[in-house]
Amino acid sequence: MAAYHVVLVHFPIALWLSSALLIFLRVISDGPLGQAADRALPLFLVLGVVFGAVTYLVGLNVWAWEAISSSPMGRNHMLTASWSLAYFTLLAITRLMQGDALWHGFPRLVMLVLSGVGVVLVGVTGTLGGHLIGVYTEVGQVLRLLGWEIYTTYYVPNLTVGLLIGLGLVMAGLGLMAGRKASA
Amino acid sequence: MNKYILPVASALFLGGLLVSWVTHGTGVVVNDPARNISIPETLTVPLQVQAAYNDETMFFRYRWPADRPGIFHDVLVYQDGAWQVRGNAVPGSNPDGLHEDRVAMMLDDGSVPEFGRYGGYITIGAGLAGLTDEAPEEVTKYLPATRNRLGAWDDMAPEDVQARLREAGYFLDLWHWRGGRSNPTGYSDDQNIGIERAGDGGQSSYGTNWDKESSQPNVMFNPEVTGFAALRWDDIMAGRVTQDQAYALTPEVSAPFDADRAWQNGDVIPRRTLRQPDGSRADITAPGKGRWADGYWDVTLARALDTGAPQDDKILRDLGMYDVGFAIHRNATGGRWHYVSLPQRLGLGREADITAAHFSGPQPQWGDAWTDVTLFYPGQVTWPLLNSKAHAGAERIAEGVPVRFRHTPEQLTNYGIEVEFTDQIRRQWLLTILAGVVLIAGFGVALNRTVSATKGA
Repeated sequence: MAAYHVVLVHFPIALWLSSALLIFLRVISDGPLGQAADRALPLFLVLGVVFGAVTYLVGLNVWAWEAISSSPMGRNHMLTASWSLAYFTLLAITRLMQGDALWHGFPRLVMLVLSGVGVVLVGVTGTLGGHLIGVYTEVGQVLRLLGWEIYTTYYVPNLTVGLLIGLGLVMAGLGLMAGRKASA
Repeated sequence: MNKYILPVASALFLGGLLVSWVTHGTGVVVNDPARNISIPETLTVPLQVQAAYNDETMFFRYRWPADRPGIFHDVLVYQDGAWQVRGNAVPGSNPDGLHEDRVAMMLDDGSVPEFGRYGGYITIGAGLAGLTDEAPEEVTKYLPATRNRLGAWDDMAPEDVQARLREAGYFLDLWHWRGGRSNPTGYSDDQNIGIERAGDGGQSSYGTNWDKESSQPNVMFNPEVTGFAALRWDDIMAGRVTQDQAYALTPEVSAPFDADRAWQNGDVIPRRTLRQPDGSRADITAPGKGRWADGYWDVTLARALDTGAPQDDKILRDLGMYDVGFAIHRNATGGRWHYVSLPQRLGLGREADITAAHFSGPQPQWGDAWTDVTLFYPGQVTWPLLNSKAHAGAERIAEGVPVRFRHTPEQLTNYGIEVEFTDQIRRQWLLTILAGVVLIAGFGVALNRTVSATKGA
């Protein structure tokens, strides 16, 4: 399955990076270019998520679970792939639900930052995938300089796990609160 | 109030990512002596190697960094009327800083083809002493085909098969220089690895300085030769005992133990007596004796190209190609707490990773041309594990792909450590994926509900 995974993975990478470019164009332009970018964006995001999900599932079958969950690079690749998929799924849902409202006020800046973080995540995922098949880049060296030895598994201690889950719940609570106030 | 919710959620989201980045990799990898786990602070060490040969003798020169010279192995310390043993092997470094430094070299002539591809990994069978799941009896390094099944340390191949394997050259030659137990005599230990790690035929350079019946040492330093009967604990701890004085119980400086002597608390006598080795075990000498200076060991070893013992040693020949793997012990470590190399090619007069130059005369003229080899802490990676479903590269091993094609020492040392905590790290990794997804989803709810509220306003 490794070869199919490698073939498939080009699609979500291209679609997600293109989506980030479209978001950037829409953020910096309210003119025809920005409007055109925004019209194309939902298709790119949705296709990216579909191809991303298929690629993810195929990737799960490249190695046995015992192997991928025992290999530091395998774990790291799967972690960043999971987060990339979740991340661009969020962007796709948000764009489909909110439409043009995203490009006014603070959300406009949020979309720019989110797409930037997404590009980094996808880039790291691809870099780690390259290492897994023996194709190395210097991106790994950059991550080392920033504090992550990529030959070690990225995991956080229980306290941080609790904090991240707590923050997620708090943010969801804040969102629900905003919705209630608006409908009140 | 609504206008503050999205900025606050954004700050929480980015803050969560930052905390994740700052705290990642902590909380799991900790030393646990009860499970034989002790991770060295430094994971890789540089080793420099030179090799040369004349018509009869092979020479190797090794140089590696060590903060202090490990010239003592275990010792006997006099305390309140009794002699106590200090310097025993423990997981990691001995707390007293006692346990000899060593350099070891496994050597093969191609009779063990897996060695050339995977080096010392093939000798790490299941159950080895020092592993977290060590066998109930002491099991040392062994080669895979000496067992009937992979992973069965006690399922030995039949004796006649073992004998035929040995005749076919299925063993590794092991040059094993010891800073405390061989160097003071001007020798290196000469061992081999087949069904176990064992000494070559003959007598080793060391024995045990202990009389069980009287619970006292057999010998002490000869005061008439050295000026003292024992060393002092404080001097050893302070590093005041050096290679420039008598520090080991070689025959020249030893005398029968005098129980009636007025022994003082803190007197120290080495627990090992040294002697002239003989037979095949005395094949490897340390000309000039290994010396430590300015933070580095410099050790030269020499052995006849043809020792005449082809079932103990790998016979070397002009223009021959061989496989070697190196290891060092430093910082008072023993057992598996060493640094090892990936396999290297050795060529006698032929281009290789390490090219031994032919010379005329009794001694090589070493120049400044060294081969740099990166040694690494290997963790607990066993040969059965590497060939199991838990190793993604097991199929590549079956295909004969060499370890160096896919892995570097820097990679392997980190992998080796993670193997010591596989279950804990796997659990924490899954929790981390989950926490990240919850963080992303939570922010998604905040973003969408806030923007929706804005639209409805």
